[in-house]
Amino acid sequence: MQTIAAAPAVPVLLTPQANAQQTAAPTAAQPIAATKAGTVAEPVTRFFTAPQFAALRKLAEVLMPPIGGNPGALDAGAPEFLDFLIGVSPVERQQLYRTGLDLLNARATKQFNKSFAALDAKQADTIIRPLLVPVPWPYDPPKDPGSHFLIAAHDDIRTATRNSREWGAAAAASGRRGGGGQQYWNPVDPIYKG
Amino acid sequence: MATKEYDVLIVGSGHSGGMAANILTQKGISCLMLNAGPEADMARDRTTKTVWDLPYRGFGKPGRLPHVYQATEFTANQWVDEKEVPYTHDPAAPYNWVRVRLLGGKSLFWGRQSFRLSDFEFKAADIDGTGDNWPISHADLDPFYSRVEGILRVSGRKEGWPQFPDGNFLQADYANDSGSIKKISELGASRGILFSKIRAANGRNGLASSINLLLPDALASGKLQIVPNAIVREITVDKNTGLANGANFVDRHSRQEMHVKARAVVVAAGTLESTRLLLNSGIGNSSGVLGHYLQDQIYGVTVVASVPEARDGKNPEYMGGSALVPRFRNLKKGEKHNFIKGYGMLINSGGAASPGYFADYGEGLQKRLDSYAGSCVSASIYGERVPRFENHVRINKTVSDEWGIPVLHIDVRDSANELNMAKDAAATAEDLLKAAGWEILSKTDKFYPPGYSIHEVGTCRMGDNPKSSVLNKWSQSHDVRNLFVVDGGSFVTCGWQNPTLTILALAMRASEYMADQMQKRII
Ligand SMILES: Cc1cc2nc3c(=O)[nH]c(=O)nc-3n(C[C@H](O)[C@H](O)[C@H](O)COP(=O)(O)OP(=O)(O)OC[C@H]3O[C@@H](n4cnc5c(N)ncnc54)[C@H](O)[C@@H]3O)c2cc1C
Repeated sequence: MQTIAAAPAVPVLLTPQANAQQTAAPTAAQPIAATKAGTVAEPVTRFFTAPQFAALRKLAEVLMPPIGGNPGALDAGAPEFLDFLIGVSPVERQQLYRTGLDLLNARATKQFNKSFAALDAKQADTIIRPLLVPVPWPYDPPKDPGSHFLIAAHDDIRTATRNSREWGAAAAASGRRGGGGQQYWNPVDPIYKG
Repeated sequence: MATKEYDVLIVGSGHSGGMAANILTQKGISCLMLNAGPEADMARDRTTKTVWDLPYRGFGKPGRLPHVYQATEFTANQWVDEKEVPYTHDPAAPYNWVRVRLLGGKSLFWGRQSFRLSDFEFKAADIDGTGDNWPISHADLDPFYSRVEGILRVSGRKEGWPQFPDGNFLQADYANDSGSIKKISELGASRGILFSKIRAANGRNGLASSINLLLPDALASGKLQIVPNAIVREITVDKNTGLANGANFVDRHSRQEMHVKARAVVVAAGTLESTRLLLNSGIGNSSGVLGHYLQDQIYGVTVVASVPEARDGKNPEYMGGSALVPRFRNLKKGEKHNFIKGYGMLINSGGAASPGYFADYGEGLQKRLDSYAGSCVSASIYGERVPRFENHVRINKTVSDEWGIPVLHIDVRDSANELNMAKDAAATAEDLLKAAGWEILSKTDKFYPPGYSIHEVGTCRMGDNPKSSVLNKWSQSHDVRNLFVVDGGSFVTCGWQNPTLTILALAMRASEYMADQMQKRII
C-alpha cells in the first residue's frame, strides 16, 4: 500500500491512485472480481502484427524462462507489455523491433521452413546465438541491426520481467528482496503534465 | 502596488544563489530571490510506489526526457520538462542539459562528491602551454574552500598531494581497505598512480542543499524574501548609468509580467540559464566571449574486471569498498601524451556483472550472473574537457519556451584531446586490472554526450582582460559593475573534479566582495 502523509492541498496533484485511496474501500474478505483476464481471453496486440508478436513471445520464452522460482517472461506478461511500450515509443525504436522480429521470422523460414514461433529450443538457438554479442556499454550498440535488435529486446524483456508484479510477488513469497516500494516524485505544480 | 527597492536581486535558489543570500543577508543587505520553479513539499510531492504500479513498469514514458539519461520513471517529475523549456542542438552533436527548477535547484539531488580544484587547473595554461589561466590561484580560494567544507561537512582523507589539495575535513573513519582495493592501489602506486578516497559532503540528514544549509539562516535574518514560480525574462538596465536596476519576470501560473527594482543583481541561475539570461538581456558581452568555452567532464569510459578468487560467493572479505584516483597525467613538465590535461578514476569493488557482458541468455546467462555476482571491480573516469571557443551556446531566435523566452542553441563537439584522453584512460585502467590477474569483462573508451556529467561550467568566464573574459576575478561583470554571476559560468577550466565545492567557494568570495563594495558605496 502506498502511503500519503497528508491530503494534498491542490486537487491537480492527486494521482489516480491517490484518488482511489480517498474513496471508501470494499471491506469484503475475498474480492468478488478475481478472474484474471488472461484465463478467459486472448490478448489483442496493439502494435505488432500477429507474426511479429508470435516471434516476440517465442523470443521472450527462450531468453528469459522461469528460473529458480522466479517467473519467466511469459508469466510476467513481458511480450504484451512490450507491445504497449514499443507502440508508444519513438519511431526509431519501433523500427528496430519491427525489422528485428521480421528478421527472426525470415531466418527461421529460410533455415527451417517454419516461423520463428514454431521452432524448438535448439533451432531457435541457431538463429539467436550468432546475433548475441557482448555489449561493453549500452549507449554503443552493435552496428549490425539484427544484433542491435536482439541486445535491445533481451534487455527490455529482462527489465519488463524483473519489474513485473509477478516477479515482486515471487520475491516476497520466497522472502527475497525485490518486493519493496521506492520513492516516486509526483508532478510538482505542473504546467505540462508530461 | 509594491514598489520596494531591494539592495540585491538574486536570480536562482540553488547552491550558488543560496550562498549569495546567506552571505549578503549576514552583512545586513536586503535580498529578493526569484526562482523559476515551485517549492517542493517532500511529504506531499513524494509517494512510495512499487515499480509494477507505474504505467511504464519503470521504463519511463518513452521520449519524455530524451536528454536526461539519469531520469527514471520514479524521478521523471523532478527534472525540467523539455517541452516546457526546450533547447536546440544539431542532431549530430547532442547535448544533455539536465535541469531542476524546484526551489533549491540541483542541490536537492546532487551526489555530494566534493573536491577542490588545484593549481594544475587554476594555472592550467602554464602546464598545458595553451589556453588561459584563471585570474586566481588555489591560495586565493583556500580560505573560502575551508569555510564551505565546514558548512557542507565534507569528509575526506588528507594526502598532501598538490594535485588534490586537502581541506577542512570532518574526522572520517576509513575502514581498512579490502584485499582487492589494496592490491589495485599497490599496483597503481608502482606506476605512479596514487589512490585516495572519495571526498563527500555529509550535509545534514543526507541533504547538503541550499534549502537546509544556506537559506534557513538567510531567512532567519529577516533580510531575505523568496518568490517561487518567478521566471526572469531579462535583467533591466538604467539607460543613464548603464547599471543593472532590476529585472522583468513572468509569474509561471498567472503569466503576469512583473518588474522588480534592485540596487545590484546576482545571477545564479545555473551556468547555462545565467548565460541565456544575459544574452536575452543584451548585457555583459562587450568581449564577445559570453556563451563560449562551455565545458564539463567526459563520463562513461569504464573497464570492468572479475576477480576469479571471489567468484561463486568465495572470499567475500576480499571484495568491497572504493577508491578515488586523482589526476595523474600531465602533472610534470615534459610528460609526453597525445592529449593535455588529465582525468580522475573511481574504483568500485564488489559489484555484479551486467548481463550485457556475456553473449548468453536463459539459464546459461543466469548461471554466469550468479557466479560472477560480487566479484567485479570497475574503474570509471572523470575526464577534463578542453575549454574551446567553438564550444558555445547562443540564442535561438526561432524557438521560445512556454513563456515566450527565446531558448538556447547548444553546440559542443568533442576534440581529438577528449578522444585521445578517453583511449588512454581505458588502456590504463585495463592495464591495472589485468596486472592484478583479474579477468577483463568489459572495456569501453566511448563516453556520453557532453552535459551528461551535470557539471556544465564556463560561458561567462572570468579573467583580468575585459576583451577576453566576461567577469573579473570577483565574478563581477566587466561591463556592468553591479552585476555578478556566481554559478559555474565563471570557470576558466573545468578540471576533472566535480564543480560544486568550487562554485560555492567562488560564490562566497564574490558575495563578500560585493557586500564590501556596497557598504563602501562603490556599488
Ligand atoms: C543527480 C546529480 C548529481 C550531482 N552530483 C554532483 C556531485 O557529486 N558533486 C558535484 O560537485 N556536483 C554534482 N552535481 C552538480 C551540482 O548539483 C551543481 O553543480 C550545483 O548544484 C549547481 O548549483 P547552481 O546554484 O549553480 O545551479 P542550480 O542548482 O541549477 O540552480 C539554479 C536555479 O536557478 C533557477 N533559475 C533558472 N533560470 C531561472 C530564471 N530565468 N529565472 C529565475 N530562476 C531561474 C532554477 O529554478 C534553479 O533553482 C550533481 C547534479 C545532479 C543533478
